[in-house]
Amino acid sequence: MTRRAWLVVIPMLLTGVLAVAQGTLDRSKAPAPGAPPVLRVPAWTRSTLANGAELVVSEKHDLPLVSFAITFSGGYNQGDPAARRGLADMTASMMSEGTQTRNGDALAAALQLLGTTVTIRIAGETGTIAFQCIAGKFPATLDIVADMLVNPSFPQDALERLRSQRLVALTQARDQPGAIASRVFPRLVYGDAHPYGQNVTEATLKAITRDDVVAFHRGYFRPGQALVTVVGDVNAAAAKTAIEKTLTAWPRGGERPTFQYPAVPASRATTIFLADKPGAAQSTFAIGTTGPPRSTPDYYALQVMNTMLGGMFQSRLNANIREEKGYSYGVGSSFAYGKGPGAFRAGGDIVAAKSDAALIEFMKELRGIRGERPITDEELSTAKDALTQRLPATFASAQSINTAIVSLWTQGLPDDYYQQYAAQIGAVQREDVVRVARQYVDVDHLVIVIVGDRSTIEGPLRATHVAPITMTDIEGTPAEP
Amino acid sequence: MRNTAAFLVLAFAAAVATLVAQSSQPKSSTLQIPFESYALPNGLRVVLAPNNTSPTVAVTVWYHVGSKNEAKGKTGFAHLFEHVMFTGSGHVPYGVHDRLTEGVGGSNNGTTSRDRTMYFETIPSNYLETALWLESDRMGFLLDTLDIQKLDAQRDIVKNERRQSMDNQPYGLVDEIVSNTLYPAAHPYSWDVIGSMTDLTAASETDVKEFFKRYYAPANAIVSIAGDFQPQQAKPLVARYFGEFPRGPAIVRPAAPPVTLDRETRLVYEDRVQVPRLVIVWPTVGRQSDDRFALRVLDQIVAGPRTTRLTKALVYDRQLATSITARQDPDESAGEWRLTITPRPGVSLTDLEAATDAILDTLKAEGPTGEEIQRATAGLELGFVNGLESNLGRSMRLADGLGYDNDAGSFQTEYQKMLAVTPADVKRVANKYLTKGRIVLSVVPIGKKEMASKPSESTPYRRTDQ
Repeated sequence: MTRRAWLVVIPMLLTGVLAVAQGTLDRSKAPAPGAPPVLRVPAWTRSTLANGAELVVSEKHDLPLVSFAITFSGGYNQGDPAARRGLADMTASMMSEGTQTRNGDALAAALQLLGTTVTIRIAGETGTIAFQCIAGKFPATLDIVADMLVNPSFPQDALERLRSQRLVALTQARDQPGAIASRVFPRLVYGDAHPYGQNVTEATLKAITRDDVVAFHRGYFRPGQALVTVVGDVNAAAAKTAIEKTLTAWPRGGERPTFQYPAVPASRATTIFLADKPGAAQSTFAIGTTGPPRSTPDYYALQVMNTMLGGMFQSRLNANIREEKGYSYGVGSSFAYGKGPGAFRAGGDIVAAKSDAALIEFMKELRGIRGERPITDEELSTAKDALTQRLPATFASAQSINTAIVSLWTQGLPDDYYQQYAAQIGAVQREDVVRVARQYVDVDHLVIVIVGDRSTIEGPLRATHVAPITMTDIEGTPAEP
Repeated sequence: MRNTAAFLVLAFAAAVATLVAQSSQPKSSTLQIPFESYALPNGLRVVLAPNNTSPTVAVTVWYHVGSKNEAKGKTGFAHLFEHVMFTGSGHVPYGVHDRLTEGVGGSNNGTTSRDRTMYFETIPSNYLETALWLESDRMGFLLDTLDIQKLDAQRDIVKNERRQSMDNQPYGLVDEIVSNTLYPAAHPYSWDVIGSMTDLTAASETDVKEFFKRYYAPANAIVSIAGDFQPQQAKPLVARYFGEFPRGPAIVRPAAPPVTLDRETRLVYEDRVQVPRLVIVWPTVGRQSDDRFALRVLDQIVAGPRTTRLTKALVYDRQLATSITARQDPDESAGEWRLTITPRPGVSLTDLEAATDAILDTLKAEGPTGEEIQRATAGLELGFVNGLESNLGRSMRLADGLGYDNDAGSFQTEYQKMLAVTPADVKRVANKYLTKGRIVLSVVPIGKKEMASKPSESTPYRRTDQ
């Protein structure tokens, strides 16, 4: 058996006749699957609260559970000044440090007794206040959340403690090859002038003041840029009434941001940026470039293409570099999408002695998906099936339904997006895949970040002649030429 | 684990099916999860837990074999074997397993612990029979297509897994150091599941064959199915695909009794880190002792949210530490209770250890308050229920119950026992287990042994193998 036999075998499996329930078991053929289950997208109702926040409620009564979220449009890429990177994240954490009437300890104790955890996070382009609870505890939990949202006290000592914790975490990140690559790669791709390229540093953390936190909170957590979602064992009308009542103290204001980003830096010829990690047993690879926003009409073709390239276990990258060559425990690729030019990134952790060989294989697969290695019918249909048949699981729990509803709002997608998804993926043709691969997997303009033991890998990497090598420090500042 | 986290993250929607049937009166402390379990004539045990919330199914196949069944010199073998199970079998060429799980919108993976190895897939419900075909084929016909090339390929991948999760991770060797130190060399918990590089290199094709014949047989296995199916549909399928295999040999299970340390063992390990870390470990009990419930509540009272004893005192009030975790880890027959403390810059580990001990001494002397117990169990309750939420989590939990406790419904008893823990129980276990017989491990930057807690009393830890 060759390692690629599966590509040849599959058509037989899919066209296999229905096994007869009785009689001798023929194990040589995979049983034919029954009819695909019908996609059941739950219903939801939309309305607007008195303060302008949008509200979506979806009832699900099989369990006494409720999933609640307030999602905010915009994130640290809109809110963090470059010199105070980390402000949004700090503000989010500070909202759990106490309110005008409950100090931090009292707040934590009250939530613990309700058995729930309120998560407040601000990501690159969205923020969220969320919890999951037993249905009977929903009103009490909602009360506390409203207090955290509207009346945070932002104690100065808490700010200092959180700052100190983050500074230690930053130091620890410098010991971790994966964390280093995740700081160096975006900085080199987008540059310091683009929010996508900016990192939290000691200096930015130290610059954040309590006034900054207060101002950020005042400007960001506003109903005009918020979506409230409730999924689970609630009555939609009663939930709306309760939410209106609980959020009375949350005044109108705010609007969704426009997500204006500066232009990305002009692309440059493919370069290897090597960050030295003496003694590292593995080299961490991050290979990529700027990509399209989520709104691109090429989204579906890109999803199919990336699934084949590095989006599943038997994708080209993982099948080759892990399964066939044994250089890694796992490699893959992804597009970040987002409101701006989110990155395309491929990579993984490679055993140090095979850094050069793995680099050659990465480049081979990136070129291959652009047409040098033809896409088989089987690859195309597997990628499409994998994508479309995941959908039912999206609506399996209150929390995942909530996430699905929120995605429509943050990404500006229509209400029938999930119903249309399979048709959109189904319409992707082989030539679409090759076209988007050629357009977005730009092998001549890649940033190749490798974090590893320079003393053993630099020479072999150079000898591959894949690209010139520039040394960089672990913050992504290239050495002077 | 066979698959890296990367693949789990890349999934379009990681969420799987949910159904937590719970009494509307939380105080009744009953989780209503319908299931039935039975055995086939060949000894294979089966659990069926129908749940039609979403049209998906999870299948877990649980084998009662883990790293404790390995011999010295062959460490890491059970996990290496787990990888071999994904290389194809008699009627299932390599790659088909992925095609018919991940390739139809599902997922698959495997996991090995000291005590058991699990293989699992989630699939759209119309692929249930396919999953049974896949799982039965590797239970019955793995060796038909095994060759040394397959073993060698997985050996390299597992070595990379070890590098990625341990050797190339800051503090990555702590688990291995603790296992080596806590248990005497002959104890089957004294080595790490991932094994040593030398032993991985030495694993042979013959080893794989013998291991398979001994442990991968119906009488040592459980098939657990949760999700959108009808039991009357699943029963004949399970019988059809698994019923023909011979039950397999009787298995002599190694004894892995709980241990105690008669005195404190102090170690310092130099790692490629910039921030030191203090790890304190006490030997406790495994799944076979009910003390594990009070020990679990104890860890929730000691560290975690800001209301917990150590976190409040050391992270919030005195600000000597930036993070503290506490965790009771029960394996099947022995366990450990571990504190992991990261200091604030400039704080000595010696001071941190003293401050920690003083707080634990107070807790041991006074016991926790009723409200502390209430807060701890409220959180544990949600965590427990969440663990049973997805079809996959449910199928694993039911299999664990059947495998370890001979009762798929033992989650119910566990749940009740956990919620019934009293302040007196916690006080008792704190005094019984958090004694002087413990390991105090300082992980310090290379060349900075003086940063250890009580450096003059701490012995450098030397790796015996890479």
